[in-house]
Amino acid sequence: MTGHGDWHVPDDDLRAYARGTLAPPALWSADAHLAACARCRAGLAEAAGPVDVDAGWLRLDAELDAPRAGWCEGLLVRLGVPDHVARLLTATPVLRRSWLGAVAAVLAMSVAAVLTTGAPDGSPTLFLALAPLLPLAGVALSYGPAMDPTYEIAVVAPLHGFRLLMIRTVAVLAVGIGLNGLATLALPAYGLRALAWLLPALALTGAGLALTPRLGPVAAPAAVGGGWIALLLAAEAAREPGGGPLAPFTAAGQGVCAGVAVAAAGVLFLVRDRFDRSPSAH
Amino acid sequence: MTITVSASGLSLHYGRTRALDEVGLRLSPGVTGLLGPNGAGKTTLLRVLATAVPADRGAFTVLGHDPGTVRGRQEVRRRLGYLPQTPGFHPDFTAFAFVDYVAVLKELTDRRARHREVRRVLEEVGLGDVRGRRIKKLSGGMRQRVALAAALVGDPGFLVLDEPTVGLDPEQRMRFRELIAGAGEGRTVLLSTHQTEDVAMLCRRVLVMAAGSVRFDGTPAELTARAAGRVWRSDRRDAGAKAGWRTGTGEFRQVGDPPEGAELVEPTLEDGYLLVLDGAVDAEVAA
Repeated sequence: MTGHGDWHVPDDDLRAYARGTLAPPALWSADAHLAACARCRAGLAEAAGPVDVDAGWLRLDAELDAPRAGWCEGLLVRLGVPDHVARLLTATPVLRRSWLGAVAAVLAMSVAAVLTTGAPDGSPTLFLALAPLLPLAGVALSYGPAMDPTYEIAVVAPLHGFRLLMIRTVAVLAVGIGLNGLATLALPAYGLRALAWLLPALALTGAGLALTPRLGPVAAPAAVGGGWIALLLAAEAAREPGGGPLAPFTAAGQGVCAGVAVAAAGVLFLVRDRFDRSPSAH
Repeated sequence: MTITVSASGLSLHYGRTRALDEVGLRLSPGVTGLLGPNGAGKTTLLRVLATAVPADRGAFTVLGHDPGTVRGRQEVRRRLGYLPQTPGFHPDFTAFAFVDYVAVLKELTDRRARHREVRRVLEEVGLGDVRGRRIKKLSGGMRQRVALAAALVGDPGFLVLDEPTVGLDPEQRMRFRELIAGAGEGRTVLLSTHQTEDVAMLCRRVLVMAAGSVRFDGTPAELTARAAGRVWRSDRRDAGAKAGWRTGTGEFRQVGDPPEGAELVEPTLEDGYLLVLDGAVDAEVAA
């Protein structure tokens, strides 16, 4: 063993001590030794870094006034949304410029593809296939432990989890459908056929939410999105050459989508209390 | 002594891992410490008591309400302050906006009353001056105080704090302890920690957990007394030691079964803790 006088806290332990991650009993050895050893204390100061100094500066130039609402929150309040609901919405991860920009880019590309390649079957299939997935993804990304950094705090708050989910879902759906609608305006040649994404979008979003308590907040929308793509591929394979739009975009297909949307809403209502607890163990 | 939180037979499995095994406890106002090595089930117990996850079996009540029902759970949540192990933030939010958001989640809908409450809790944790700062620009210690402020919104009767002093430097830790001591006046506080110092300074009672069950429940003095006659000093690691560490003089302080003629020393809280764990902490550090 090492003698009494010439032992020092190992560098690794010192760094762990500075981070606050050194565990007992090594922590106690370090505690006891640091009190008596200037050399190790100097090493610790080096390992700790300039965080404390920064904290002092932060305090100096802090803003003293209560914060003003951001542009999004201010707009919502002007539109008549109560201020506490606006606060809940601005904490929704997907209602941010980066997400909205990504959705707009995807829509613009699909519209451009339809415009440049044309649509021999009289239906903007690529756009119709893609547009329903965007609200599904948006709603999926607005709730759940993986996406919402404050999920753990939100889930134990007295505000019912389902109510929070619905507030966010309505907002995300409104934004998603609004963007899809704008993209539809860029395809005037297809008339109402270019709106055939709307009912599938409601059906997919509803089904994704209704399956969330059973499959979890990641697997449920992924399964629904995958199912949608599989369905379209199957419809494409079954379609006779030059046989008109894919099955989901026909009148019958739209009727099925509406039915699925209504059924999903019913299931969602029945399982509403399941959104009240954390879906994952950790 | 009034019992504010009581639990019996709480069990929870994650797959084949038994995270909680028949845990029972009774808490009263004041700070109760929850000690244990990583993986002992501390966080799981706190998440169950905070109503974040349901237990597989067992029951508990918080301030007279049963969280097993939807209505009872909401009543518990109205009286609960929770600081999770890794509190998440919206980094673009200011400290004020974040606490305000949590206040909305806690059903404070009236704007003026809510903002007054947000200012009060931010003052209480000493962050009144930086309330307009974005959270991403705050130091780790300040963020932790923002999370504590959020937990204190609405003056909860039951406060659950999951390792709030982890990652703080010694000065911040000291400051945080003062805040917790203040928060413990008139409320029931359950504080999980790795640090026996936190317990020695703050807690009137301490629970020690290992492998999903409660191994000790008593006062800090009683935990210390567990080690009476079982702590000694020597130049080398002895065979009978369940755990040992090097003191400032370079000698080993050891707990366990002392050898013949060993130089016994006064026990401390951590000696009692190590003995209750039967050296499990040491094994974890070595692993």
